Amino acid sequence: MNAGATGFGVGAALRRKEDARFLIGKGRYVGDITRPGMLEVAFLRSPVAHARLKRLTKPAGHEQQVFTIDDLPEIKTIRANSALPGFRVSEQPVLARGKIRHVGEAIAACIAGSRAEAEDLAGACELDYEMLPAVSDMTRAHLPGTPLLHEDWSMNAFLETHRNDDVSGLDAIAAAKVTRTLRTSRQCMAPLEGRGVLAEWDPRLEQIIVTTSTQMPHVTKSGLADCLGLDEGQVRIISPDVGGGFGYKGILLPEELVLAQLAIRLGRPVRWLEDRFEQLTAGANCREHHYVITAWADEAGRLLGVECDAIVDAGAYSSYPFGACLEAAQVGSILPGPYALPLLRCHTMSACTNKPPILPYRGVARTGVCYAMETTLDALARQLGISAEAIRLANLVRPEAMPYRNLVGKVFDSGDYPEALRRAVAAIDVPSIRARQAKGEAVGFGLATFCEQGAHGTSVYHAWGIPFVPGFEQAFVRLSPDGILEVRVGVHSHGQGMETSLAQVAHTILGVHPDKVRIVLGDTALTPYSTGTWGSRAAVMAGGAVAEACRQLGDRIASIGAGLLQVTRPDVVVADGFVRRIEGEGSVSIADVARTWYRAPQNLPKGVDKGGLEVTAGYRPDPDTGTHSYAAHAVVARVDLETGAVVLEDFVVVEDGGKLINPMIVDGQVLGGLAQGIGTALYEEMPYDGAGQPLAATLADYLLPGSADVPDVRLEHMETPSPWTTFGQKGIGESGAIGPPAAIVNAINDALASIGAEVTDLPATPERVLAAIAAARAGKA
Amino acid sequence: MSRIDITLTVNGEPRELKVEPRDQLADVLRGPLMLTGTHVGCEHGVCGACTIEIDGAPARSCIAHAGSCDGATIRTIEGFGDDEIMRALREAFTREHALQCGYCTPGMLVVGRDVVRRLPDADEARVREEMSGNLCRCTGYRGIVRAIVSVIVARRHARREGACR
Amino acid sequence: MKPSRFSYKRPASWDDAVKLVLAGARPGAGTQSLGPMLNLRLARPDTIADLRHLPDYAGVSVRGDTVRIGAGTTHAALEDGVVPGRLGQIMASVARRIAYRPVRTRGTIGGSLAHADPAADWVAVLPALGGVAVAFGAAGERRLPLANFVTGIFETALAPGEVLRAVEVPMLRDAARWGHWKFCRKIGEFSKATACLLDVPGARPRAVLAALDGPPMVIDDAAALLADPTGEARRIVAGCPGLSPWRQAIAEAALRHAVQGARA
Repeated sequence: MNAGATGFGVGAALRRKEDARFLIGKGRYVGDITRPGMLEVAFLRSPVAHARLKRLTKPAGHEQQVFTIDDLPEIKTIRANSALPGFRVSEQPVLARGKIRHVGEAIAACIAGSRAEAEDLAGACELDYEMLPAVSDMTRAHLPGTPLLHEDWSMNAFLETHRNDDVSGLDAIAAAKVTRTLRTSRQCMAPLEGRGVLAEWDPRLEQIIVTTSTQMPHVTKSGLADCLGLDEGQVRIISPDVGGGFGYKGILLPEELVLAQLAIRLGRPVRWLEDRFEQLTAGANCREHHYVITAWADEAGRLLGVECDAIVDAGAYSSYPFGACLEAAQVGSILPGPYALPLLRCHTMSACTNKPPILPYRGVARTGVCYAMETTLDALARQLGISAEAIRLANLVRPEAMPYRNLVGKVFDSGDYPEALRRAVAAIDVPSIRARQAKGEAVGFGLATFCEQGAHGTSVYHAWGIPFVPGFEQAFVRLSPDGILEVRVGVHSHGQGMETSLAQVAHTILGVHPDKVRIVLGDTALTPYSTGTWGSRAAVMAGGAVAEACRQLGDRIASIGAGLLQVTRPDVVVADGFVRRIEGEGSVSIADVARTWYRAPQNLPKGVDKGGLEVTAGYRPDPDTGTHSYAAHAVVARVDLETGAVVLEDFVVVEDGGKLINPMIVDGQVLGGLAQGIGTALYEEMPYDGAGQPLAATLADYLLPGSADVPDVRLEHMETPSPWTTFGQKGIGESGAIGPPAAIVNAINDALASIGAEVTDLPATPERVLAAIAAARAGKA
Repeated sequence: MSRIDITLTVNGEPRELKVEPRDQLADVLRGPLMLTGTHVGCEHGVCGACTIEIDGAPARSCIAHAGSCDGATIRTIEGFGDDEIMRALREAFTREHALQCGYCTPGMLVVGRDVVRRLPDADEARVREEMSGNLCRCTGYRGIVRAIVSVIVARRHARREGACR
Repeated sequence: MKPSRFSYKRPASWDDAVKLVLAGARPGAGTQSLGPMLNLRLARPDTIADLRHLPDYAGVSVRGDTVRIGAGTTHAALEDGVVPGRLGQIMASVARRIAYRPVRTRGTIGGSLAHADPAADWVAVLPALGGVAVAFGAAGERRLPLANFVTGIFETALAPGEVLRAVEVPMLRDAARWGHWKFCRKIGEFSKATACLLDVPGARPRAVLAALDGPPMVIDDAAALLADPTGEARRIVAGCPGLSPWRQAIAEAALRHAVQGARA
């Protein structure tokens, strides 16, 4: 292995191979693809949140162009079960059947030659329904007397979980105790490209080909086959360039099933492209949490215990494959964060409401949990009169304790958590902030520390019992006759630069120049089975699989090369694209080895591996409980007391993602996540009224951070290898999105500490900040 | 509600088209003209992914009806050939890792080029202000801002050197 | 979403435009506000009369002490200084902060004013600058004071069949003092409260408070505001019904900052 030695391998900040096509407008997304005879689909979606659907009248003369669930009885309902005890399973019809459970739920597919005409049809349908009271407040959804979304359930909750450590004695011994009620808002992940599906039937292969903007082509394939009653060989999923995922495209879509069945029925290609209005009104589906959290500490700030009652608004259905409980059920296991917490009492509920079904968004539950824990820690520190740094240092798991198993059984692989925090604090001139505060300026300093479990595998997901438990990740590699190395993996890339990072991995093992490595992704017909790209797993899992496949291929190349050099296998190594004798002169290029196998097999040595120059190899870290990257965020924020507006003056991130395969790409992941975290902290909110109506229908109402809203973040890396992965790399794709709400609100609360005001709800809009100030002043008056 | 005949000059080529009055320019470019580098992101003028040049100025093609553009000169991401500023921007974008999924990139480049041309003395804060009408969900903007600033600075140096000679 | 069907007309003369509008056509200019509403099917006109090709629709001319700005003049042109002198300076500073440059290159001052979104910039600023809107109808041109041109949410003083042809604004001496402040959470976002104040030596200072979900409030004599910005801002805002405490706070802040700006 010659990691990074040539400047192209693991560790090199190599420029991205995929940039060339994007920079000239030649990226190819679903919406760029057309087929002869293709029809466009627009969905008639529910205008109301909760209703009994009585009748749909199709536009006269166009009855054959409008399809309801009664017209598509072949499609089974979507069921995403969970093995967690007490889970209530929802049946999600792909088009509303009998009942409407959220605004934007698809009711009918309307087909025409153009999208505009399809929308005309949707607009001309007449809908007759009987309104039911909407369940839009997650904190009251479970109460008796609330109308039930799923009428065979006993209450509007998918699941409750309990952890019952005894915290009753802590009041007596604690030096400080704080309780906070906190909430985060529902968000829309809002990748810049919406979802899109193009389905066509291939009569020759008797195969439905679905081109869809997805993060998980193989899971979609299996789900589609299940729900349409096809065998998996009859389904091919192609995911071309994907314009951002973030979890929004980690789902089996009702729309994918409808489009596939329509293409089979009509024998013509059909396409649906989600527009932004649909995305905002039917696809705001993450991050809505409510916490009542109590924490106890001794006088040094050491945590004695935490008690938490958490509710997550899971929406109306359990989405496939991750289900409705991934967020809430994880709250209890994530709450200890990077800290050595002795006691935890935690109750969680996945509330079922008349809103779009929840999906795991970058960071999943961590962003909310980190917000709850970190703001509570700061409140404790204020009560104890110690610094935010001190209370964290008193509780962070220490490097000498690694690997560390915490009280909920999570195993942290490696790292120096306190050092990350110290570096982040050192990067900020805290005394100058204190001096400005002393002069009455509303400026504050905020911290957040957290760790991110990534690439967690079989042992973790098996326990949750979701429909898809990730196992071994596979990669296929082939040395072509011309010496080009083809690498096929079942994960996908939606901005993560896998075409570059995986080429670097291959280069590190085989020495083939990255320009001569072709990474093939996003097509179930071409790639090995994979559960896809999510959960910060691709760099660890696919990176490991590609390395393993290249190693095995390298061994075969070496054997042939040794034969050509008339020495034995132990006498040679593969390096820099050559098979070289270890001692003495003599080498043969990998390309010559390839030519020999394919075009001059008469020259092959005896006893050569008959598998030739193609290898499929599998990989899973051992243990597979996941890598833990971690970070400390430090923020300086200024509050305008007049308007409540918050300005981020400085933002420092110290991050440890283990060995970085491509530091430039990792920076990009962290910075991109940060912008999303800043959105969660300050801007993004999908408000719902009491009738379950989403109130932000355009990007003028649902505010995404722009270039002027994100500071020039200062980013510093530590590189503590994970002992469990191929190169020591850790999953780090979500990290940036986890810390900002906690760090920013802590900075705001520090700025407002002299007033005694605290922000509790996200996003910290000017209105909420000003309300917190007014409440504090009213309380003092 | 008949279709209307329009003439556009698109990336230097005269094009005669029949369009529906309700067709937005973005859909005409992407559909009949097959110029799919212009991306549709929001269809209400906020995200900037569809930004192209109409008569030399950056504009949103999702809220400009093709009919009202009759006679206009259009340039899309596919039409910059070896334009010197665009070439410098592309090089800077890849160097500064200013793109990830690539969806916002064509709009970013078109607006970035306008900023470089129109505001030769812009600093980072001004670039951030000027680029605020183009949303990126992947990069956190640092690479985009750095790339554009670097092109502005390089041109400023070249100008000074030219003046000294 | 795609717009509903409509037919497209391109009047060659102002008389033709008026005929079309009288027959129910919706006038269209840069369509930077109308375009999104069409795409969302919030507006479903049968016909759009595209004013962009009318003679003298865009452009600026100075006659005596007044500058006539064609309704079709883009925000970008104003940003780039198409209006001369102190007035042009003020208008450029306002224009630069309307939406984003690629919107400003097509959006027009007349289109924005006639659309009469309460949060729009020219709706707030033009009443402070004084002058008149030039309406064109079947009976020819009619001049309407800009101070009460916008009468409600998406409502103007234009009579049925009239289209907005230009605005005529008095030129300003260099000594004119100007303050303008708006609150947007993000650049380019619609304002949540806007105030501006024009103080020309020898004339009564004039202020406008706008973007509060109704027509702009014109304060014809802002002397009291200049004298006691905090107290007077509170009094003025207390007179605006239905505002949340936060909206009241930023409205007061807007007035105070407008005064500060004019004093600077």
